[in-house]
Amino acid sequence: MKKSSITRRRFLELSSAAGLGAGLSALSPGLSFANTGIKVAPGATNPLGMPGNVKGEGVFFSGGFGHAYIEFAAEIFAEVHSGSTMSVEGIQRVGERLRPRIIAGDPPDVIDNSGAGHLDTAALVAEEELMDLGSLMNAPALDTPGKTFGETLFPGSQASGVFNGVQRYVNIAFTIFGVWHSKALFEEKGWSYPKTWDEMMSLCETIKSSGTAPWTYQGKYPQYMIFGVLEPLVEKIGGVQVWKDIDNLKKGAWEHPAMLDALQKMKALHDNGYIMKGTSGLTHTESQAEWLQKKAAFLPCGTWLENEMRSITPAGFDMVVKPVPGNDRSNFSWIDASSGEPFMAFANSKNPIAGVEFLRCLLSKQSAAWFAKNVGSVMPVVGGAEGVELSSAMTSALAAVENAGPNILDRPSFSGWYSDIMEEAKNSMGSLLTGQIGAEKFIERVQGVADEVKEDEDIPKYTRA
Amino acid sequence: MYRNKYRIIIPFLSPALILYGLFVLYPYAQAMYIAFTKWKGLRKSPRFVGLRNFEKLLEDDHFWSALTHNVIYLVVLPLVTLGFALFLAFMITQKVRFSNFYRITFFFPQMMSVVAIGILWSFVYHPTIGIFTSLLQALGIADPPVWLGDPATALGSIALVTVWQSAGFFMVIFMAGMLSIPKSLYEAAAIDGAGRRTTFFKVTLPLLWENMRSSLVFITVLAMDMFGITYTMTQGGPDRATDVLATLLYEHAFLHSRFGYATSIAMVYFIIVLILSLLIMQMTRRETIEF
Repeated sequence: MKKSSITRRRFLELSSAAGLGAGLSALSPGLSFANTGIKVAPGATNPLGMPGNVKGEGVFFSGGFGHAYIEFAAEIFAEVHSGSTMSVEGIQRVGERLRPRIIAGDPPDVIDNSGAGHLDTAALVAEEELMDLGSLMNAPALDTPGKTFGETLFPGSQASGVFNGVQRYVNIAFTIFGVWHSKALFEEKGWSYPKTWDEMMSLCETIKSSGTAPWTYQGKYPQYMIFGVLEPLVEKIGGVQVWKDIDNLKKGAWEHPAMLDALQKMKALHDNGYIMKGTSGLTHTESQAEWLQKKAAFLPCGTWLENEMRSITPAGFDMVVKPVPGNDRSNFSWIDASSGEPFMAFANSKNPIAGVEFLRCLLSKQSAAWFAKNVGSVMPVVGGAEGVELSSAMTSALAAVENAGPNILDRPSFSGWYSDIMEEAKNSMGSLLTGQIGAEKFIERVQGVADEVKEDEDIPKYTRA
Repeated sequence: MYRNKYRIIIPFLSPALILYGLFVLYPYAQAMYIAFTKWKGLRKSPRFVGLRNFEKLLEDDHFWSALTHNVIYLVVLPLVTLGFALFLAFMITQKVRFSNFYRITFFFPQMMSVVAIGILWSFVYHPTIGIFTSLLQALGIADPPVWLGDPATALGSIALVTVWQSAGFFMVIFMAGMLSIPKSLYEAAAIDGAGRRTTFFKVTLPLLWENMRSSLVFITVLAMDMFGITYTMTQGGPDRATDVLATLLYEHAFLHSRFGYATSIAMVYFIIVLILSLLIMQMTRRETIEF
């Protein structure tokens, strides 16, 4: 089986050299490979025209997900393109490790630019270091017949990687953001998750009087309350246009009434004493540990929470994620979901096409199934988690996405495009939630920085529609 | 005669000089150039922008607030740390029991890495399980401060850790100075009727001047730095309440990819430390007394 497929591949290579590859390969049936179990769709073996016998080099952030899943994708790469390989090195502090190589003009072919101390993506884009992934998005998917690579990815999941209309990176982990609670605790106390912000406030009063703190958040990192609560809340109150205007640096965009309303709602959590005492002095893992000890009922986070806290999660805690309740029951199910863990290929590496081709292998259905099964998280690949048993956290997250239907909220882009604005919003959020400043002051401060960014000609500008 | 001398000196010195030039002087010169450029830290050639980084710096509120925190450390740390170190050194040299044990105990924090100390003290300041919080709660204070989470207490909390860590080091310097003061001077003072207090201020302290000078320079550099401890404990937060020049520099370089601007902060920082060191050396210049 395998042997015959190699001869077929060789034949295809020859035929593509003669310019007949596309036509012939479209007629050929799919190929199966024993080692990784991948079934390559007809005509999808090498649509990007990667040369043979390539020794690609990949350097990847190895964090909560580890990098075994990347090694699996490299096996797919080597099996589909016999003679070629992709090396996999898992590292931390990607920026410090790779910056000297980028300056020297010798970057690896493909990287995972994630984790603490990663490279500033906007700067990489501005310096034209990254490959244009447009041809990848339009190429046939590796193991989903009849679909392009782009079509096999969750709608909207790759929006953050688009800079001025050009796809510069792909996100490989699908993350759902929301408010977490212990299903067991809520059942024991007879609490049910609120559908509106008003219900949230009255439940908080009940929780508080029972002796538990209603809320905690990742104290020293107040940005969790921005992507966990503020982003969906503003969108539920004022619609997506509020964030679009903010991303596009429209004058006075932060002064929108929906922003003021959402911030006042969040400040009420502090004013009513609903935030666990001492929260502002805790790190993310410390506050999450307090929450796991049921000292607080609600916690904002993304779906990585389960993996991150796995070793100290008490048995039977049953963590589940729900959408942030908004101003109205009708929009309760709207939920923030986006993809993270950006992978990118370098334009002036030795084998840039190998880097891009590797991404096609990494986001194949087969690789996504391996990821769901062994890492316990999902890739934004349609059907990627089929037939894989998931935890209560992941099950609740996928159910939330299903309930949301078409109302999956895209995360705003300003945090990636303009780090100054995010930094000011983060700092102001910390002060808002500890009662140092009010909602008006928050808006004044962040709008002030947004205005400065707009006028600063050294900062490259981006727009979204 | 001289020619022979240089024939020996030059070959012996040159390896060290070449290394020094290549790995110290050249990077310094290069950094000075980068301070006058716009550079994202990705391409080989930064773009020259003249004095623009420095002009921006003067208008940058974050720069001034970070510098203010450095200045607060600069005033508080020498006073408290050196005062405390002097007190410890004086007490231990007064023939107390277990003085060796005390000396080792007080010096011990100096041997630990800053990161370990930052993590340790983060637990001390922890708002639910920290020893400070628990003690205050045991004393009946229901709402103790959130030490590192409140802008009003965060800077002081970090200063305290630094005092704790460095006092032992200066204590050892002062002790060395005190032990080298001849006994005869103390005996003479005692015969003249001087008490402990007078002896300390009129005999010990003036004779420690050399040690005080170098200690002041050391602690000035420390107060202007503070990066390690700040970065481990608060990253400059909450809401920039503990930002110092070094953390601001780090933020601009590695978060915002503004290496040119970050280097201009480093230049200002370098110049301030240089001027302060020269000032301290100048102001404390006295004739050394030989025993």
